Amino acid sequence: MKLIELKEVSKSFGKNGILQDVSITIEEGDIWGIIGRSGSGKTTLLNLIAGFLEPSGGEVLHSFKVTETPKSLHANLHQIKDQIGYAPQHNSFYPKLTVMENLLHFGQLYNLPKETLQNNIKGLLQATELAAHQNKLAEHLSGGMQKRLDLACSLVHKPRILLLDEPTADLDPMLQKDIMAFLAQVNKQGVTLVIASHHLNLMEKVCNKVAIVHNGKVHSNGLMADIQKPYLKDNFTISLNPGENKERFISILKTLPVDKIIDRQQHLIIHPKNITKTITALLTMIQDENLYLHDLDIRRPSLDEIFETITQEK
Amino acid sequence: MKSLWLLTKKNLKLLVRSKSSALVVFFAPLFIILLLGLSYNSTSNYGLNIGIYAPSFSSDVESLMGSLQEQEFKIVKYETSVEDCVKDIKAGAVHACVSVPGSLSVEDNKQKEASFYVDPSKINLVGVVQDTLNEKFNLKSQEISKELSGSLLSAVSDTKSRLEEQGTQLSSAKEKSAAASSAAQEASQQLTSMDLTLPASTYNPQLITDFKSSASPKIKSGLSDVEDAKEAVEASELADKTAILSSLSEVEDKLKSLDILVSGGAVASSGNTSDNQTNVTSTTPSSGFLSALTLLEEELINTKVKLTAAATAVGSTSSSLSSTTQNLQESVSALETAQQKVSEMKASLDAQKVTDANVLSAPLVTKIEKVGQESSYLNYMFPALLVLVVMFSSLLLGTTLVMMEKNSPAFFRNYFLPLRRGTFVLSTYLTTLVITSVQVLVILAVSAIFLKENLAQLFPVAGVLLLSSSVFSFIGMGIGYSFKSEETGALASISTGSLLLFVSGIVLPIETISPAVRSITSFNPFVISESIIREVFLFNAGISGVWPELATLTGYALGLFAIILVAEYLVHKHFISGFMKHRHLKHRQQERRDKNNV
Repeated sequence: MKLIELKEVSKSFGKNGILQDVSITIEEGDIWGIIGRSGSGKTTLLNLIAGFLEPSGGEVLHSFKVTETPKSLHANLHQIKDQIGYAPQHNSFYPKLTVMENLLHFGQLYNLPKETLQNNIKGLLQATELAAHQNKLAEHLSGGMQKRLDLACSLVHKPRILLLDEPTADLDPMLQKDIMAFLAQVNKQGVTLVIASHHLNLMEKVCNKVAIVHNGKVHSNGLMADIQKPYLKDNFTISLNPGENKERFISILKTLPVDKIIDRQQHLIIHPKNITKTITALLTMIQDENLYLHDLDIRRPSLDEIFETITQEK
Repeated sequence: MKSLWLLTKKNLKLLVRSKSSALVVFFAPLFIILLLGLSYNSTSNYGLNIGIYAPSFSSDVESLMGSLQEQEFKIVKYETSVEDCVKDIKAGAVHACVSVPGSLSVEDNKQKEASFYVDPSKINLVGVVQDTLNEKFNLKSQEISKELSGSLLSAVSDTKSRLEEQGTQLSSAKEKSAAASSAAQEASQQLTSMDLTLPASTYNPQLITDFKSSASPKIKSGLSDVEDAKEAVEASELADKTAILSSLSEVEDKLKSLDILVSGGAVASSGNTSDNQTNVTSTTPSSGFLSALTLLEEELINTKVKLTAAATAVGSTSSSLSSTTQNLQESVSALETAQQKVSEMKASLDAQKVTDANVLSAPLVTKIEKVGQESSYLNYMFPALLVLVVMFSSLLLGTTLVMMEKNSPAFFRNYFLPLRRGTFVLSTYLTTLVITSVQVLVILAVSAIFLKENLAQLFPVAGVLLLSSSVFSFIGMGIGYSFKSEETGALASISTGSLLLFVSGIVLPIETISPAVRSITSFNPFVISESIIREVFLFNAGISGVWPELATLTGYALGLFAIILVAEYLVHKHFISGFMKHRHLKHRQQERRDKNNV
């Protein structure tokens, strides 16, 4: 079921065009990932979906009420605010209120029945593992807890769609994983998620649909599998030990029949013309030159790689 | 030391780079100075409305009004009673009333009194009004005093010239009187020298002489006649011839006796003539009578001589006395003239009705009457103090609350709450109102200890304060929406409060500022609020008495609420735009950093 549909949406601030001709359909239960480089227009797209911004061109329609024809989301935002949850990049709650006070405050403003609100809060406190800290001032919580509180505040009214802007920014990898796991759990409870992030590896694990935003345009969007399909060309990755002569590896690889070498710090992603011949020749040359190869991985292209490929192509 | 300088430098940079801070820090003082310069660059009392009550508006009262008008006072006439004027003071229509007598001219030894009616709660204004009115009345008093003294001096001068004139007359009278005195003395001496001892009897000496010369012949003639008669009788044949002859013989004897007496047969001695008595005896009657006659004759002659001399002396004296009389008449005339002049001078001096030194030196006196009940200065200052507290609290609370919300991390989330913007504005307003209400309650509760007599007025005062608080809260909120940081917002609030206070008439009388600025400052909500509370608190005015001000304040509150709603809407748009711009800029910077790293 369609919840939100963007039809050839454009957005510009003054003379600066931020987004052009974006068409996306968000259906109930989806976990949409909006990925792109910093400044590519991810947040703008997210804010258009949230109704926070009015499109300069095209239209953003919502179909939260099945019986009604799709309506302009921005124009009718006030009527559907209780259907939408938004978690901005930076925490958005009152630091001088306790965890419980924050949840009660935002929940009560949605006019939820007292019992429903209490149940929601109870469930969220458990899910976010904040129950033990419910009487602590929000400013006294750790970074991870604050992020979870922020998500809880966004979910306290049980929205049908939750929009998240860089939910894992400024968090350590463990917390990033925890947050993504929590979001997956939220989605299982029926909440549609739209996540704007540049942590592609995490997005790849959680999202079922992706929109790749680059230079103000959505180059690919849809199911993750559909996006990956054109890039299912075999490639392999070699991992090097720190201090290993990477330049030497690159010069050897350049003598071999490869289409592209992607340099990722300690990893080199190689797109060979013929994977078997290339790997055999590479291993022989490593042995001849007495070089050390930490790891060699032959796998399908990741979202990160696909994104890189697309952005380099464009 | 270095770190201190670095921190200071950083602070200065931050202040300069924040546009609003720079505006407040650098331009607010300049603006305030400019405004105050424009406001108070004058010595005139432009806006003082002075009510003048007089039973009748004579020319000198009109002249006084004219002189007050020259001082830029606006004069309002009251012809029925001074109470009307006092009512207008309470209503704030006039700043002071002056009750003057119908005429300021002083006609007796009573000072004319002018009463000033002032509102003691306007402490600073009272001074200005008193000083200025006293100055004007002193001038008028001096003018009248000068007039009175001039009149008195003129009368004295006139008297002096008349006295000088009369001095000549009196000298002349004095000389004439002296001459008269001398002449009278001379006449007196002449008269004294006269022997005017009169004989004992008065008679005509000629008669005596005539008698002496004719008496004897006549007696002899008589005797002859009697002899003839006797002869005739004897010759007649009358029956009673004997009787007649006897009678005739008796007559003859008597005539003979008389003849002897007259011709001086026997005269008594007449040595003493002083007692004016002549003794005639039968024995020597003739000699005494003649001697006496002779002596009498001599005396008469002597007397005649004396009288002649006396007559001469009297003639001389008469001439002197005539001269004296003339002189004296002239003196009398001169003195009469002098008396008349003196009477005129007296009349002239009597015409000076004002002779009391107090009245002459201060013909007009002034009296200060305080409008309303006599109270302590706390009462007078109380309305201003209340509004002052409410104004600063509300301004700062309004600004701080908006700033807190704007700068709060939760600000963004609020946009996704199913609430109208007006709800946020109202919530901020209500928060301010609640806190201000608590403050007002505390202040009024404490005040009730000191102001027991005004307890009944504290409830309406609280209501007015809450209305004032609403206006100031909205102003504070407006400031909050206009500034970025809490510091500059607070600074702007304090500056705004100070400005409102400075042009409220509390620090300096609002009536002394220039008309252009005053016309603006009369809309100052502080002035309006203070005015309402003063009228309610000090003069027990009801709603009907202050409804125009209440309506103005309510209008302010509603107007400001509408402006705040617009400001909220604009801030929302600005916030989104700023938010997106900020993100865009941040991403571009990140992109540049990434490129540099690659």
